[in-house]
Amino acid sequence: MTDGTPGFSRRNFLATSAASTMSVALLDRGARAAPTPAQANPREPLKLTLKINGRDRELSLDPRTTLLDALREHAGLTGSKKGCDHGQCGACTVMMDGRRILSCLTFAASAQDHDITTIEGLAQTDGTLHPMQQAFIDHDAFQCGYCTPGQIMSAVACVKEGHANSDPDIREYMSGNLCRCAAYPNIVDAIKQAAPQMKEG
Amino acid sequence: MNRAAPEPQANMGQPEPRLEARLKVTGEARYASDMPVHNPAFAFLVTSPIAKGAITGIDDKDARTVPGVLGIFTHENTAELKKLSWSQGGGGPTTSIQDLGPKIQHDGQIVAMTVADTFEAAREAAYKLKISYQEEIPSATFDSPGVTQTDAKKPTPKAGNAEAAFNDAPVKLEVAYSTPTQHHNPIELFTTTASWDGDQLTVYEPSQFMYGLKNKTAARLGIKPDKVHAVSPFVGGAFGSKSQQTPRTGLVALAARTLNRPVKLVPTRDQGFTIATYRAETRHAIKIGAAENGKIASFQHDGWEVTSRPDNYSVAGVEDSARMYGFGAVKTAVTTVHADRNTPGFMRSPPVVPYIYALESALDELAVKLKMDPIELRRVNDSNKDATGKEWSSRSLMKCYDQAAEAFGWSRRSAEPGSMRDGNWLIGWGCASAFYPTHIGAATARVKFNADGHARVEVAAHEIGTGVMTVVGQTAAERLGIPLDRVEVVVGDSNYPPVPVAGGSNQTASCCSVVMKACDAIMAKLGGANIKETVGSGPVKDVAASFSKLGVSTVEEYAEFVPDVVKPNAVTSLVDDPIKKLYEGSPSLGGGSHGEKLMYAMGAEFIEVRVHALTGEIRVPRIVGAFAAGRIMNTRTARSQYMGAMIWGVSSALHEATDIDKRNARYVNDNLADYMIPVNADIQQLEVILVPEQDNFINPVGVKGIGELGNVGTAAAVTNAVYHATGVRIRELPVRLEKLLTT
Repeated sequence: MTDGTPGFSRRNFLATSAASTMSVALLDRGARAAPTPAQANPREPLKLTLKINGRDRELSLDPRTTLLDALREHAGLTGSKKGCDHGQCGACTVMMDGRRILSCLTFAASAQDHDITTIEGLAQTDGTLHPMQQAFIDHDAFQCGYCTPGQIMSAVACVKEGHANSDPDIREYMSGNLCRCAAYPNIVDAIKQAAPQMKEG
Repeated sequence: MNRAAPEPQANMGQPEPRLEARLKVTGEARYASDMPVHNPAFAFLVTSPIAKGAITGIDDKDARTVPGVLGIFTHENTAELKKLSWSQGGGGPTTSIQDLGPKIQHDGQIVAMTVADTFEAAREAAYKLKISYQEEIPSATFDSPGVTQTDAKKPTPKAGNAEAAFNDAPVKLEVAYSTPTQHHNPIELFTTTASWDGDQLTVYEPSQFMYGLKNKTAARLGIKPDKVHAVSPFVGGAFGSKSQQTPRTGLVALAARTLNRPVKLVPTRDQGFTIATYRAETRHAIKIGAAENGKIASFQHDGWEVTSRPDNYSVAGVEDSARMYGFGAVKTAVTTVHADRNTPGFMRSPPVVPYIYALESALDELAVKLKMDPIELRRVNDSNKDATGKEWSSRSLMKCYDQAAEAFGWSRRSAEPGSMRDGNWLIGWGCASAFYPTHIGAATARVKFNADGHARVEVAAHEIGTGVMTVVGQTAAERLGIPLDRVEVVVGDSNYPPVPVAGGSNQTASCCSVVMKACDAIMAKLGGANIKETVGSGPVKDVAASFSKLGVSTVEEYAEFVPDVVKPNAVTSLVDDPIKKLYEGSPSLGGGSHGEKLMYAMGAEFIEVRVHALTGEIRVPRIVGAFAAGRIMNTRTARSQYMGAMIWGVSSALHEATDIDKRNARYVNDNLADYMIPVNADIQQLEVILVPEQDNFINPVGVKGIGELGNVGTAAAVTNAVYHATGVRIRELPVRLEKLLTT
């Protein structure tokens, strides 16, 4: 890794590393997409494939692009929202391999080789809503609706994590998603409705 | 039915789910920055790191070397942007401070905007732009050296001889309060996308006033308003922050025109603290003189508010505080304090949040002094008119108190502070009144009714989360006698007929009044009252019959509605045609205390706090509010607005404050981790009671408006509860545990 040839050193690193971390995935794709000379320019677009809602999307991105911006500005999926770009509001919450993550704090490149699910991928293909989506409607668990995609993704994860067994638990594990309209009590009610349905389904 | 959808009582509409609910839970609802434009360039703002001084040089050499940079806009190449004259309200700009320099008048003033092929490149270029400044010492806030004071030049009620009545009163209270700087912080950022097609501009921007956005963008660019199309289908929270023209809009439009490419700006969260408006800090001095039985003979309220150097913004809520009870005599004054700050603006319930907090806190202190129950003190001073003799159109305050007190269990309260305790938790119960003036404005709408029984309503209204689409749809469905699912409602587009700014809680009253008028005109065309009855109770094919009788398949009606309170005449002393003004981007709103009668929505809020005896930690396990606001169009959306508002009120008491670095006149906690707002775990039990009320005086639909009612008085209910728990009276918001520990 010290021979001054970035592409070579990265391959070398990969060859000698058994770890399968996200940063390795990033370097791997970057190296494959653009062979040696181009690697000198860190701004050279990365060609990468993101698996979003079960579908492969080929994208060419500035390496600094966050997953959130990749979704919104490059993949045409504007359901995930930017509210702070700092991991403070939760509006950008998506699932990565079934786990909730903040897409504004995740580089698009590090989301390669993972299953990304966004709010657009939650309903069934025939349009039938996910029980959590229906519960949010039934309990008026939103007003302006801007934080809602993130709330719903977090709510689904909250149930799957086993954190929806009591009101205090739900409140605690939903506290990473800010709602300025303050629909919080309705969000709790919605999760209580959807949780048993999710277990059945 | 679940608790989100309360059973309608008298004069309440059905709890229909929001028309746009499915769009909002599937991510399909498009907010301004979600709107697709072809091949956009991306912008990034640069804001001033100093609050006062001047730009002395701009070095863009490094910034321009960033690959993909298309343009850098500074005061040197944006002089063609026209200066808009500021005046409070009226659909104008947020501030007089619109230039990108060289003069710097507040921290965070926009000084440059970079535009590039990608967001990442624009951001890199913004960081590489070197701007040098000549810095002067700024004045930050109250008591800072260099601030100046002026009269707020707002109505300040006076009646009787308040000073003499105070001197003569056996019980006297003199007390001072303060409220902090607060920022709206809608979760949606202050985005703008501009796209030109020849000389035709489309602006996608979250807006509470489509025709203000259209007209003021045109004025800033020096083009005709008909060249601007403003689009804002859904707004991701606003709370007043998106009601006026900010300096960014014209800048983005200019950049798009210069670069001949759509430009998209998504400012950062911290930039939002200085490129839009906020609620300024206030101070209050209150003097009350009362009889031993609690009857208030004299009420005096002086307010001080911070504003920017050039603009005399103030909320002057003495107009409300002085009228809410049957005070014997009143005297009020409001002073503005000019500092080197961005200009404040409307934030949810602008005048009443700080001023009613002060009033309702003082009443609690008076009740303690009199050893009187605080509800009874309000009952003693409840009155059918204010100190000037003006009567209420309707007033259900004590009904609200009685219902909320019952639900809360107030009769079990022991009055002595600190007397209700659960282990180490000190329990406090407090209450306060909520008031909000009923506003309405001139509005227009177009309704199309088809022979197949479907209707379409077009209004340039603003779906900021209030449920306006749904209540407009319900109005049309009711007047046309068709099910709600046959009504399509479209809003958020300046191609539709204008309605007022979604501010002052007027939108439901204004929009529903004009839509009702248009629908009734359609029914008249279709054959008058008989048909309406048939349609309302019978099968839809009767409508088809009357259509075929007329020989048409669609009846379309455009309606204009001008409420009495904004009609040009001697009573209102208005001269301009309110419809013409509306089309020109200037809304006419009237009501509240300015009409023939006092028109207000009211409520009573009860709060339980638990304060930990050792740590001072404050929790709010219970919130109960009862509200009366004329006709309730939809009990679901109404309950949700009250609920959110009461949480706003708790936030105002315990969470929110923008901290100011007084040396630099700079906001310190300008992000969502440090600017505290409630999270889900902060809120536990919350109950909303809808108190039936009918008021035929206020407007044709009998709607008072509710969006800004629920967060008024809440802060006082919280501080009154904290006093009851601890015996400590906090008079400077927000209440934080350290204030309890140090006293």
